[in-house]
Amino acid sequence: MRLTSESDAEVEEFRAEFSAFIDANVPGAAEAVPASQSTADVPPWAADWQRKLFDAGWLLPGNPPEFGGRNATLPQQLAHLEELSRRRINHSFNPQGLGIIAASILTFGTEEQKHRWAVPILRAEMTAALGMSEPEAGSDLASLRTRAVLDGEHFTVNGQKVWTSGAHDADVLLTFVRTDPDAPKHKGISVLLIPTDTEGVVRKPFGCLTDPDDLDFNEVFFTDVKVPRENLVGPLNGGWGVAHGSLGHERTLLWLHYAERLEDLIQDAPCAEEWYATLQMDFQALKLLGYRQLGEDRNEAELSVLKLFGSEAVRSAALCALEARGADGLVHPELTGPLNHMGMPSFTASWFERYARSFGGTIAGGTSEIQRNIIAERILGLPR
Amino acid sequence: MEFEFDEDQQLLQRLVRETVTKSRSLPEDQLWNTYQELGWLEAPPVELAIVLEELGYVADPTPFLASSTWFAPLAGRLPRGSGTGVFDGAGRFVLDADRADEIALLTGDGVVVVDGADLDPQRVDIFDATLHVAHVQAPDLVRDVPDLALMGLAITTVGSCRRILDLVVGHVRQRVQFGRPIGSFQAVKHKAADMYVAIERARALAYFSALTIAEDDPRRTRAASMAKAAAGECQRLCFQDGYQLFGAMGYTWENELQIHLKRAKAGDLLLGTAAEHRKALLR
Repeated sequence: MRLTSESDAEVEEFRAEFSAFIDANVPGAAEAVPASQSTADVPPWAADWQRKLFDAGWLLPGNPPEFGGRNATLPQQLAHLEELSRRRINHSFNPQGLGIIAASILTFGTEEQKHRWAVPILRAEMTAALGMSEPEAGSDLASLRTRAVLDGEHFTVNGQKVWTSGAHDADVLLTFVRTDPDAPKHKGISVLLIPTDTEGVVRKPFGCLTDPDDLDFNEVFFTDVKVPRENLVGPLNGGWGVAHGSLGHERTLLWLHYAERLEDLIQDAPCAEEWYATLQMDFQALKLLGYRQLGEDRNEAELSVLKLFGSEAVRSAALCALEARGADGLVHPELTGPLNHMGMPSFTASWFERYARSFGGTIAGGTSEIQRNIIAERILGLPR
Repeated sequence: MEFEFDEDQQLLQRLVRETVTKSRSLPEDQLWNTYQELGWLEAPPVELAIVLEELGYVADPTPFLASSTWFAPLAGRLPRGSGTGVFDGAGRFVLDADRADEIALLTGDGVVVVDGADLDPQRVDIFDATLHVAHVQAPDLVRDVPDLALMGLAITTVGSCRRILDLVVGHVRQRVQFGRPIGSFQAVKHKAADMYVAIERARALAYFSALTIAEDDPRRTRAASMAKAAAGECQRLCFQDGYQLFGAMGYTWENELQIHLKRAKAGDLLLGTAAEHRKALLR
C-alpha cells in the first residue's frame, strides 16, 4: 500500500499529453450545434471530435492503434477517464456503441466483423444500440424470447425488445436472440448485429419521466427480419458468454462513472449539512475500492460491490441535494451545474432531474437488488 | 496510488490471523507477551492497522490498542509495560487508564508522562464488561485527538463488524425455517450484502487513514475523521441488522454475538461518534 506508485510519473506524463490534446482539439461551444438528442445521436461536430480521438489513439487508449488506442496500461486508462471526467467531456455521444457494442465485437467478433462494424462505430461513422431487455426479460435476462431461426445463410428474427436506448437514432442493434428454444435458457442465446434499416425492424421511441419529448428509450419490434448469418457475433448459442463479457467490459471501470457523478455533486452542491460529508466519504471510498479492483486476481463479484455502492451513493446524494433546496427544488428546468456543451445536458437540467436520472444507476445494468443477490451468493456464500 | 497489500503486508495479515486464532484461549498476560514478542506494538501505521483489524475481529482483551494508538503518538515512544493517553481535554472515558503502567497526558505545557498508579484512575462501569475505560483527573488538560487514535479505533471497529457479519452468515446458512435456510431469503441476503458493502467502505477509509499517517500526507486529519465516521456508520448497520438477523438468539448472554456488538458500539461512542466526525469534515 502506497499513496504514490512507481508508475505515477509515467501516468502523469500520459495525462499531461492527453490534456494538451484536449486543449488543442475539443470543440468550442459555438461549434457544438446542434446538440445530441439521444445516446445514439452523434451530430457531425461530435463525430469529428470522436474521429480525432480515434485517429490520435486517444479514444480508448487501452486498445491497439488500429482500434483507436495506444495499448495503454490500466492506470493510464484510468487517468484518461479521470481527465475526461474532471473536464466533464464525453469522448463519445454514443457511449453504449463505444463501451459495449464495439467492445463486444472486438472481444468476440471475427476480424472481418471488427473492421466492418467495430471500427466504423469507434470512428463515429455508424451508431449502435444494445438490444437486450424485453418486456418479459429484465432482471431475468436469460429468459429472453426474441426468436431467431437459422435457415441456410440467414436468420429470421421475430420478437420485441424494450428500453433500447437510442435505437431510433442507431444504425445497428446488437441484439440478443433465442436460437435454441429447447436448450436450458442460458444455453440457447445468440447475438446478432441487425442494421436498423432492415425490412421488418420497427422502432418506437417513448418519453421518460422528466420530459415526454426527451426520447431515448425505444420499443423495437422484429417481424420476419432477415439477418445474414455472417452477422452472428460469437458462437451460435454462445450469447450468454457475450452478454457476460460485454457487460464485464463496461463494469470494470463502471465505478468511475459513479465517481464522476459524486464529484459533480461535490462541486455543484456544496453545503454545511452532514450529507455533504457523507458524499465526500463515499467519493473517497469508491475511488479507493475502484483502485483496489484494478489489481490482479480480484473476485469478479466485487464489481457488484462497486456498482451497488457507487450507484446507491449517487442516488442518495442527489436526493439530499434536491431536498437541500426545499421549495426551490421545484424549479425545472434549471441550470444546476456549469453550462457544458461537451457533457450530457440532462445532468444539469434541474435538481429533480438529476435525482430522477440517478435511478439509471440503480436500475440499469443489473438492479441494486440483483447486485445484492450476487454479493450474498458469490461473496458471502449464502444459498440460492 | 497502490491500494493493495504488498507481499509483506499479506504475510503479516496471515501471521496475525493464525496467531490470534491459535491463542484465543490464552490468558490476557500471555497474549500481551506474545504481541510484544512479535513486535506488533512497533508496527508502522498500515501494518498496525492490519494487526488491529484482526484484534478487533477477536475482541482482544489486552491494552494493545491504547498502548499503540493512544499512548505512543503522544509520548513519541512505546510505553514501559502498557500505556494510554489522555487527549480529550477532560480525562473522561480513557481507554485502559485503570490498568496502564504509564499514562501520557496532553497538557497546556505539552505531553507529560506519569505512572498510571499515581493518577488513581477510576474505572467506569460500562455495557461492555470486557472493555476497560476510566476517568482520570489531572490539571491543565487540552484536547487534540491524534489521527492514529482515530484510525486505530476505526479499524478495530471494522474488525468487530467483520466478525458480526461472519457470525450472521454462519447463522443464516444453518438456521432452517419454512423448510429452507433463512439465508436463501432475499430479505436476509440483502441485509447481509449491505453489511458487506458498509464494511468494505469503512475498511477502505480506515486503511487510507493509516496510509496518510504513514506518509504524513496533508490529508491525514480529514482521512482520520472519515475513517472514524465510516466505522461508526458501519457498526450502526451491522449492529442493527446483524442483531436482527440472529433473532432472539442474539439477545442472549451465551451467544458470542453480544461481545462483538458491544465492542462495535463502544468503538463508535468513544472519540466522537460518526455524526461528530461528519460535522468535523464540514469545518
